[in-house]
Amino acid sequence: MLFHIDPSNGLAIYEQIARQVKFAVAGGSLRSGHLVPSVRELARELAINPNTIARAYRQLQDDGVLEAVRGTGLEVAPGALERCRQERLDLIRARLRQVLTEARQSQLDPDEIRALVEAELSLMHQEA
Amino acid sequence: MQPVIRLDEVTKRYGSHRAVDGLTLKVPSGVVYALLGENGAGKTTTIRTLLGLVAPDEGRATVLGLDSTRQGHLVRSRVGYVAERPTLYDWMTVSEIGWFTSGFYPSGFYDRYLKLAAQYELPLKRKIKHLSKGMRAKVALSLALAHEPEVLILDEPTSGLDTLVRREFLEGMVDIAAAGRTVLLSSHQIGEVERVADRIAILHAGRLVIDEKLDTLKDEIRELNITLAAGARTPHTLGGEILSERRHQHQWQLLVRGLDDEALAALRNAPWLQELGVRTPSLEEIFVAYLKRADEGHRPARTAEEEAVLP
Repeated sequence: MLFHIDPSNGLAIYEQIARQVKFAVAGGSLRSGHLVPSVRELARELAINPNTIARAYRQLQDDGVLEAVRGTGLEVAPGALERCRQERLDLIRARLRQVLTEARQSQLDPDEIRALVEAELSLMHQEA
Repeated sequence: MQPVIRLDEVTKRYGSHRAVDGLTLKVPSGVVYALLGENGAGKTTTIRTLLGLVAPDEGRATVLGLDSTRQGHLVRSRVGYVAERPTLYDWMTVSEIGWFTSGFYPSGFYDRYLKLAAQYELPLKRKIKHLSKGMRAKVALSLALAHEPEVLILDEPTSGLDTLVRREFLEGMVDIAAAGRTVLLSSHQIGEVERVADRIAILHAGRLVIDEKLDTLKDEIRELNITLAAGARTPHTLGGEILSERRHQHQWQLLVRGLDDEALAALRNAPWLQELGVRTPSLEEIFVAYLKRADEGHRPARTAEEEAVLP
């Protein structure tokens, strides 16, 4: 899989990596049983501190997305797809909440917000 | 664990100017440690002191347990060092300088040097004086790495190099770190430091401003963008340490450290607050805030008496 890292992005780099792995699993480009690159390989490829990569992988193991395979490295765990889809949903929900908070702070009432969301959705539908 | 590099109360004076002023630092084993600071902050003097190229007026520097001043030659033989403007014998070819340098190190140096030179696609038969700046830098890096040093010290290694060469340098550095060795670098390229460093130290006027894990800094510091309610008094405390702040009428922008979730939640419900945006600043923004603060000298915290009443 291909990563895109932006160090000055507000998100910590290990979090960016962990998230991108989860999104790749949720999107189906990384499947159960697939091996992820070794810490050293990925560190070199992205020019990122290896401890940062290791931290991302540790978190992914803790979250049940990756598991260690003896002698070969880390692979996508069975059941990771469900977990990652759920997590993607949670992330989108959190982002949506942020936007909605901003909308409320801009003095928009719920009906105006709903109308805005509907308008955007139908615009996207037309474009697609 | 014993720190691999340490400075204890090191001071170096040039005339009446203190280039390094009572500096104490410890670099643990196996980390990438970055020294940040403006020009003249004391980064190069610090590095040259560690290598035994500069004798401190006070204090003591050690590398791998060796005294930098008394055992400088031993330090230099155990450390890989790339200077900002590496001095190389111009009249030698790329392969000759490797062969020449191998005389100072145990066997195996030249083979590893040739391997590195091939990896960096260096023309072995070309004279150093006919190399581009990027190629010269790669020769210096190859020479620094060919004896497989336990510690790599880089002084502004990528300044003035093009993007691709900088990237190769970073990859080289990352590889060293992945092998569990220690890297100390000074750099102005904060974006690069943000990619590769475990720990950073900010120097200002020869003194240490902060020395911390990069993750800790990024976890603990937030930028708040606040719109104040009309007529509100600003609070004298937010529950965190204010690193920097700017205010323009009702807009209040702050870099705050150590604001926990509880304090943040309390903030969201504060009567004086109309709107709140929270984001994680980049290392560059953190760096600027700490430097400005160091420049002003630590200001005393604002007291209730100084609170401004907004129109």
